[in-house]
Amino acid sequence: MAAVHLSGINKRFGETHVIRGVDIDIEDGMFCVLVGPSGCGKSTLLRMVAGLEAIDEGEISIGGTVVNDRPPKQRDIAMVFQNYALYPHMTVRENMSFALDLAKRPKAEIEKQVKRAADILGLVPYLDRYPRQLSGGQRQRVAMGRAIVRDPQVFLFDEPLSNLDAKLRVQMRTEIRELHQRLRTTSIYVTHDQTEAMTMADRIVVLKDGVVEQSGGPLELYSRPANTFVAGFIGSPSMNFMPGIARASGGTMQVDLGRGASLPLPAGSRADDGQAVLYGVRPEHFQLGASGLAVEVVVVEPTGADTQLYCRFDGHDVVAAIRDCAECRSGDRIVLAPDSRRAHLFDAASGLRLIA
Amino acid sequence: MQLTTAGQDAVTPALRKSAARRARRAQHRRLWPFLLPSALVAFFILLYPLGYAFYLSLFNYYLDTGASTFVGFANYADLFTDTRFWAALTRTIGIVVAAVGLEFCVGLTVAYGLYRLTFGVRALNLLMFLPHIITPVVAALFLKWIFAGRWGLLDSLFATFGFFAPDWLGDPAWARVTVVLADAWQFTPFMILVLFAGLNTVDPSQIEAAQIDGASGRQILFRIMLPSIAPIIAFVLTMRMMDAFRYFDTIYVLTGGGPGTATETVTMQTYALAFRLFQIGKASALGVVTLLIVLAFASIIVATVGRRKGRT
Amino acid sequence: MNAGRFRTSQILLFVALAAFTAAMLTPVVWALMTSVKQPIDAFAIPPKIVFEPTFEFHRQVWLEKGFGRFLLNSAVISLATVVVSVSIGTMAAYALSRMSGKAVGGIMLALLSLRMFPHMLLAIPFFILAKYLNLIDTYPAMVLALVAINQPFTIWMMHSFFVDVPKEIDEAAAIDGAGEWQTFFRVVLPIVRPGLWVTALFSLLLAYNEFLFALVLTGPHTKTLPVAIAEYGGEDLNYWSLSAAAAIAIMIPIVLFMMALQKHLVRGLALGAVK
Repeated sequence: MAAVHLSGINKRFGETHVIRGVDIDIEDGMFCVLVGPSGCGKSTLLRMVAGLEAIDEGEISIGGTVVNDRPPKQRDIAMVFQNYALYPHMTVRENMSFALDLAKRPKAEIEKQVKRAADILGLVPYLDRYPRQLSGGQRQRVAMGRAIVRDPQVFLFDEPLSNLDAKLRVQMRTEIRELHQRLRTTSIYVTHDQTEAMTMADRIVVLKDGVVEQSGGPLELYSRPANTFVAGFIGSPSMNFMPGIARASGGTMQVDLGRGASLPLPAGSRADDGQAVLYGVRPEHFQLGASGLAVEVVVVEPTGADTQLYCRFDGHDVVAAIRDCAECRSGDRIVLAPDSRRAHLFDAASGLRLIA
Repeated sequence: MQLTTAGQDAVTPALRKSAARRARRAQHRRLWPFLLPSALVAFFILLYPLGYAFYLSLFNYYLDTGASTFVGFANYADLFTDTRFWAALTRTIGIVVAAVGLEFCVGLTVAYGLYRLTFGVRALNLLMFLPHIITPVVAALFLKWIFAGRWGLLDSLFATFGFFAPDWLGDPAWARVTVVLADAWQFTPFMILVLFAGLNTVDPSQIEAAQIDGASGRQILFRIMLPSIAPIIAFVLTMRMMDAFRYFDTIYVLTGGGPGTATETVTMQTYALAFRLFQIGKASALGVVTLLIVLAFASIIVATVGRRKGRT
Repeated sequence: MNAGRFRTSQILLFVALAAFTAAMLTPVVWALMTSVKQPIDAFAIPPKIVFEPTFEFHRQVWLEKGFGRFLLNSAVISLATVVVSVSIGTMAAYALSRMSGKAVGGIMLALLSLRMFPHMLLAIPFFILAKYLNLIDTYPAMVLALVAINQPFTIWMMHSFFVDVPKEIDEAAAIDGAGEWQTFFRVVLPIVRPGLWVTALFSLLLAYNEFLFALVLTGPHTKTLPVAIAEYGGEDLNYWSLSAAAAIAIMIPIVLFMMALQKHLVRGLALGAVK
């Protein structure tokens, strides 16, 4: 087991600067998720840790050793690929034992390790099958088994669940999480799916255009997003942003959203008089009320657990998720009251969170 | 866990480029031993002999006497004033165009027929393919026994019905026709195979959309399918022309370039110069000229392939 | 279109294509018949379709006319060519499929142009060099020449198989601790093994069919089947049935080859395997 440190990492493909000065510290035993839209550089970063991509600038260390110039096999890591990259001509057993075999470990030890991994992953009945004879979920397990047998210092996952159907994805998510709780191996996990990030991570690193936007625990990112990008990326459905102007009136600061709607500042935020701001509310933090935003309902989508209302306010779309909503219909006029303790305020120009 | 973001560019462009190049060079360094044996073969058995052929083309070199004198580009100058060379060149072009044209027309017709056919396609396709992979020399002999005077299949059929058969291999005009037919016999199957495979790559939903738009079978073929396989057609036509241009085995066996010089192509002429008259210098010069002509064709292919790659 | 008319048109189409196929196969069938005809049947007018076959000429070709020796020469030269050409070509193709950059595209296109090379231009220096090196009428001269002209095809063909293997497989092997050679021999090569066989068979066919270099570089000791049959198939009518018997025999391995590779014909031939 080992901690992983990335400092001042830069990477360019030709003229494109894909990683721009990234620093990440991952503690021993932590499950760290790198998340961001496609092209944000998260996979490149992971491949640099693996040793599959050269580091132009900066330093990566695993377990206190700088590994920049080491080939993958000397880094003591294991990786699960998006397309699994199982060896099609080898059985499940051969796939899992290949690395140990190359390392010239004794036969008995190899067998023991493979047995252990197969037990953990429920692969025992499939050991003599070929990858093409397995289902998607089973292949996924073999890919993880191949990583486990090595007992490496670090596990690397490159979007491992994106080729699975929705139901299996949820199941494997839990399995990977369980596996981590059992083995406690430092893990770096790349995904574009914020739900995966939220449910699996000890720490989330949000990347965009090769820059770290924010990092922290899942709930920290959810409740205190550093900027509008993180606020919009984390949480589903996405946070609503309503442009407004901060105005001082009668000793308290209010946000004027136009159309006569004026809301108190969210808890813990501050703004100057006349400052252009974005007032952010998550759909689940609206309630039906008497005072707030007067909106027109456009579409009603009951999901069972709650009801999502797609509304229109002053030319903007506003989404609200209301628990046990009664009888809303398209065309109704309702009033949505944001919970100001859980609302957010951002500077309209920079997109940064405004903190008191 | 702590983190900072330092977004600014601290490195110069030169440093940046060298880092990327260093990474790629490291990757290539690990792979170059794989390339080495093949590169040695290419150098010593392809490029070196090629250079040597060019060197030889600058000499007046007779193999039988061993006499050799440097003459510069005189061999090339001789060539361009030699009516026999120009005759061979125009003859070659005529044969190539006629043969490839015939192969394409028949090939497309048959390929489209196979495309429309719903049963027995594989068996037919395989059977009609046989002439293409038979040893060329053997194929030429098979044809010779069809076209041979008096006892050949064709002549004896003509005789059976009391007709007077033309001299397929002995009459200059008919000999050229026979050579074209021989080329067509061997290469039409290739055209069929490639065009048939091409037609099958056309997206069926495009064809269905055209049917719903009210297009007839013929309109679908000419306005939907052929345009969408145009790159394949261009590729196979240029490829075939280049191959036909340098083709040797069939003519050597079938007519030996005769009667007289009626079927003497540029390649046959080179062979005669080098291995019958032993005028190595002049033959090499002719070979170099042939190469230049073929390279002109090759650049067309490269352009076609390049464009096709760019599209996908 | 109603079902009946559709069926009629399909049958007509089939008949037309079958007729075309029959016409294409006529020379082969005619030669096959000639090879088992007595001279009196071979020269009959009208041509005889029904006759009493004799295998006398097939027997003579192999037992009295020395074609066994030519077959041996052809086999040695073709197999040696395949072993050398495919092993070095496969390594080169692997490297090219794993490299990036403009140079690789350039090399691939240069190889494609080499495949278009007029062989006559190479035959001249090959002949002179072989003469200087005293290699005329030896196996190595023929094998080297055939390996050289075979390389572009082998590399292109194997390259097309290697690029189908995802790069992640190599990366997984690298992480598992395999070096370049281990990755190549233990991981990637086994995956493309079917392609390797296809390539080898096509190379075999190319070497087996080759005529020009054999004509120039071989002699009494190393003469291959195509050269031998070309000398035999002269005008002399007495040899007609005999050379037909030899020609048919030369064709038989090719028919087997075609049946073995029917699925792969397009890929191989589009890359110009045969001629």
